[in-house]
Amino acid sequence: MMKLAVVETKLLTREPGALFSLLIPLFILVVFGSSIEPGDTVLLPMALAIAVGMVGLYLLPTTLATYRERGILRRLSATPVRPGNLLVVQLILQLVLAMTACGLLLAVAGTVLGAHLPAGVLSAVLVFLLGTASMFAIGLLIAALAPNGRTANGIGVLLYFPMAYLAGLMQPKDQMPAMVARIGEYTPLGAFGQSMREVWAGGAPSPLLLGVLAAYALVVSIAAAKFFRWE
Amino acid sequence: MAVIEVTDLRKKYADLTVLDGVSFSVEEGEIFGILGPNGTGKTTTVECVEGLRRPDGGSIRVLGLDPVRDARKVREQIGVQLQQTQLPESIRVWEALDLYASFYANPRDWRELLEEWGLADKRDARFGKLSGGQQQRLFIALALVGNPRVAFLDELTTGLDPQARRTTWELVKRVRASGVTVVLVSHFMDEVEELCDRVAVFNRGKVVAIDTPAGLVGGEHRMRFTLMAGDASGRGDAADLENLPEVTDVSREGNRVVVTGRGDFATAVTAHLARHHVLVSDLRIDKRTLDDAFTALTGRSFE
Repeated sequence: MMKLAVVETKLLTREPGALFSLLIPLFILVVFGSSIEPGDTVLLPMALAIAVGMVGLYLLPTTLATYRERGILRRLSATPVRPGNLLVVQLILQLVLAMTACGLLLAVAGTVLGAHLPAGVLSAVLVFLLGTASMFAIGLLIAALAPNGRTANGIGVLLYFPMAYLAGLMQPKDQMPAMVARIGEYTPLGAFGQSMREVWAGGAPSPLLLGVLAAYALVVSIAAAKFFRWE
Repeated sequence: MAVIEVTDLRKKYADLTVLDGVSFSVEEGEIFGILGPNGTGKTTTVECVEGLRRPDGGSIRVLGLDPVRDARKVREQIGVQLQQTQLPESIRVWEALDLYASFYANPRDWRELLEEWGLADKRDARFGKLSGGQQQRLFIALALVGNPRVAFLDELTTGLDPQARRTTWELVKRVRASGVTVVLVSHFMDEVEELCDRVAVFNRGKVVAIDTPAGLVGGEHRMRFTLMAGDASGRGDAADLENLPEVTDVSREGNRVVVTGRGDFATAVTAHLARHHVLVSDLRIDKRTLDDAFTALTGRSFE
């Protein structure tokens, strides 16, 4: 299990997608970060949501679907090791990657850009975990349904853009039609982003939105488990 | 001792019967072939034996264990090369071997395997950069890294060029020589004829014959030749051929002679002709092949 984790970590570092999910949110942060006022509570939560969304919606499903497509899960089930171990290792690794991406964003924003960091660390962590859980659940469902890595990647892209739009990650929410913005708040990425903004603004995240995130995480991962095929 | 015993194996996918009462046993130390055209249940059978699929009926014993109930114990002692599996593109050869070795309680030293399988200079190469033959050798090495008692090799030379196939065959013989029982799934006649001690011939989800390749081909060969014109003495001596123990029948039509026989009758016949100074021309030997045997067994041609 340890060796599996080591090898999978090496493979992840050789994956260009992993580098992109670290760099793209950082790029967005730096580009837009140079032109915002110091007390801003929108940009950093947005970059964090983008980072977690990219890992959950692109990288996780593409990796898992590719493993199934290439028969790696099947080959593993012919050894004394359960292929489930590989899934667990992957989930932990992708979680670490998402945390690394967020850590990097916070570090750069906190030092170079002098951005506002929230006081409620615990709420921030809670929102991060629930948001990541719901993103990963969707990623797992994509991995379960996609016949191969390329399709998984395609579905990830197709889902990401509307979700990012509805979440107000592509356009400020006050410029979106009120109705759309309202609906957007209840999408997984939207609830995640909105909760983050609330934490950043200094308040407590709305219990309703946290509940929405938890519900997505639970229901979607149950569906993913139901549809998942090893080969 | 039988290391694998399969009795009356049955498997259906929806309405399609894939295995319709398959039985065979594999003895310790042999290369056992599972031969048949594509879609006759070979791979399904092997996957049931490996514990990757649950049969609908029948019983399977691998080293005395049930591959579904005692899955872990069975997998500890078998090595598997599956059809159509790949490794991650970017994994290095040594990493794959090291990783798979860590799955087993009592693995082989993967450095030795690297040497044995001619992959030592590819140690640090990424899987995606290997040639087809090198990938195939790595798969076999991975099947052996757990120090198995039985190795399953499924269609291992599909997609290889003739040279690489020959090399792979030699390597498979070496696996057997090291004391590992080999189950070889193949739809290549020549491969089975070259490698296997015994073969189960599959057709439409059933085993239609189990025998040695020579036993399956079995039967009689024919030899035809023409007696040289004017060789009067030859006519009589050619008739004597019937008295050779290997020859079962001699028929003549003018100068054309057809001799039927078993085993190494061709050598006996030519020696006999030479001894009696009989000159012949147009000598041809029609050898039966596994293809003929398959057609005879199933009433349809291979492929």
